[in-house]
Amino acid sequence: MLPGLLLIPVLAFFIVWNTIPTLWLLGLSFYRFSLTSGRAPIYAGLLNFQNILNDSGVWLDLSRTLLFVVSGVGIQTVLGVALGLLFWNSGRLPGRRVALTLLFAPMVLTPVASGTFWRLIYDPTFGVLNAMLRGVGLSGANFLGDSSTAFAAVLVVDVWMWTPFMVLMTMAALASVPKAELEAAEIDQLSWMQRMRLVLLHHGKYILMLGILLRTIDSFKTMDLIYNMTFGGPGTTTQLVAITLYRRAFEAFNMGWSSALAVILLLISIAFTATFIFVLHWRDKADA
Amino acid sequence: MMRASWRDHAYHAVLWLVALVFFAPIAWIILSSFKTADQILATPPVLLFRPTLDNYVQLFARDSFLHQLFNSLFLSVSAVLIAVAVSFLAAFSFSRFKPAGTDFLMFLLLSIRMLPGSAAILPVYLMYVGFGWKDTYAGMILFYAMFSIPFSVWILKGFIDGVSPRFDETGRVNGASWLRIIARTILPQVMPGVIAALIFNFIFVWNEFLFNYIIGGLQTSNVPVALSTGLYSSGGVDWTFISALTTVYLVPPVLVVYLFQRYLLVGMTFGTVRGEV
Repeated sequence: MLPGLLLIPVLAFFIVWNTIPTLWLLGLSFYRFSLTSGRAPIYAGLLNFQNILNDSGVWLDLSRTLLFVVSGVGIQTVLGVALGLLFWNSGRLPGRRVALTLLFAPMVLTPVASGTFWRLIYDPTFGVLNAMLRGVGLSGANFLGDSSTAFAAVLVVDVWMWTPFMVLMTMAALASVPKAELEAAEIDQLSWMQRMRLVLLHHGKYILMLGILLRTIDSFKTMDLIYNMTFGGPGTTTQLVAITLYRRAFEAFNMGWSSALAVILLLISIAFTATFIFVLHWRDKADA
Repeated sequence: MMRASWRDHAYHAVLWLVALVFFAPIAWIILSSFKTADQILATPPVLLFRPTLDNYVQLFARDSFLHQLFNSLFLSVSAVLIAVAVSFLAAFSFSRFKPAGTDFLMFLLLSIRMLPGSAAILPVYLMYVGFGWKDTYAGMILFYAMFSIPFSVWILKGFIDGVSPRFDETGRVNGASWLRIIARTILPQVMPGVIAALIFNFIFVWNEFLFNYIIGGLQTSNVPVALSTGLYSSGGVDWTFISALTTVYLVPPVLVVYLFQRYLLVGMTFGTVRGEV
C-alpha cells in the first residue's frame, strides 16, 4: 500500500508530462500535419520516416553531430585527463577552492550567454582574439562567419565549457584509488606508465567511462550554445541535429515531420541511456 | 629543501595559470560590463579604462529586467522544491520496497534527461497550446519540476540505498510511523543528496533557455530568454546590456560552485559518482 502511495506524485508527473506527450508525439509522427496550414492532420503511415531517411540534409546534420560529439568529447577527455592528473597533488594549493571555482565556472555560465559573448570574442573587427592574433603578427579571421572555420570555432567553445567536467571526473577517479596501493606502487618502483595502468585505470576506469558517456549524451543535445552563436550557420556548417529539429518544428511548423525526427532521436537517446546503465551495473558488479 | 619549495611554487603557479586560462573569457565579460559601448568595441581592445557603473544602472532601471530576474528565481526555486519533495518520496519507495518495475521506471526517468531539448519540448508545446497552458506560471513550474525529477530521484535513491534499513527497523519496532522515520532518521542522513539535487536542478532551471522560449511568453520569460531576444538595439548588438546582464546572472551559480564544491561531483553525475575533489 505505502510503496504505491509514495509513488503517486512522481507517476502523476510522469504521466501528464511524459507519457501523454510521448504518445502524442508517436501518434503525430504518422500524420502529415503543419501548424501553419490550419488543416487537420492527415494519416500518412510511414511517409514522414521515409522522407527523413531519404533526406540527405538530415543525414548530413546527423553526421555533423556525430563529428561534433566524437571530436568534442575526444578532446575534452584527453585534455581533461591531462589536467586532472596535473591537479592530482593540488591539496596544498593556496586558494585551492577559489582556483577550482574559476576552473569550473564555464560549466555553470548560462550557455546562451557563453554563445553570445564568444561572438564578440571571435568578432573579426572588434574581437579580442583577432587583436591578439594581429598582435603576434598573424592575420585575423572571421572565425564564425567563415564556413571553413565556423565548426572548429564552435567546437573550441564547447571544449572550453566542458573540459572542466572531465577534469572533475579525472580528479574523482584519482581520488578513488586506495592510498595503500599507491604506496605499494611507489615501493615496487613501478614506472609512470605501469602505475597508470595497474592502479589508476583499474580503479578509475568506471568513473572515467561514466564521465565520457555523460559528456557524449550532453554533447549530442547541444542546442542553447549554438542557438545564439551561429544558429547553425553559415549555411548549415554548424547545424547540429537539435537545431535541425528546432527549425523544422518551430520555424517551419512542420509538426508531422518533426515528430518523426523526434521519435528517431528518442530511440537514439534510449540507446545511450541503456549503455549508461549497463556501465553502472558493470561497475557495481566489479565493486561487489 | 629549498629546491623542493621552489618546485612547489612553480607547480602551484601552473595550476593557477590553468584555472585563470579557463576563467579568462568570463573575466573578459565582467571587464566589458564596466566599459562604455565605445570601449567595448574599441580596436585594439582596451585593458585599461575608467570603469563605469552606467551599464548596471541602466540594467536595473529596465522594468522588464527586474520582472525577468524575478521569473528566473521564482521558476527555478519553486520547480526545484516541488521536484525534490516529490522525488524524495519516490526514491524512498524505490529504495526500500523495490516495487515491481523499479528498474524500468528508473530507466525511463533517466531517458527523459537524455533527449535533445527540441525533441523533448515538441510534444509538450503541442499539448500546452492545446490546453492553453502556454505562458502560465503553473505550466512552466510543473514542467521544470518534471524535468528536475529524474535527476533528483537518481541522486536520492543512491543516498537512501546507503542508509541501512536497520534504522527503519529500529524505528518500526519502537512504534514510529513511516513519516516519522523518514523525517527523523533518514532525511538527516541523506541531506548531502538533498542539497546536491536542489542546487543542481536550480542551476539547470536557472540557465535553461529553450523550454522557456518555446512554452513561455511575455509573462513567464526568464533572463536567458531576455538575453537572447534583447540582443539587438538601435541596429547593433547591445553589448553593454549583454555583459552587465551576464555578470549579474553569473553570480548565483558561481557562488553555488564555491560554497557547495563538495557536492559538485554528485550533482553533475546524477549521483552515480561519489567522492570529493
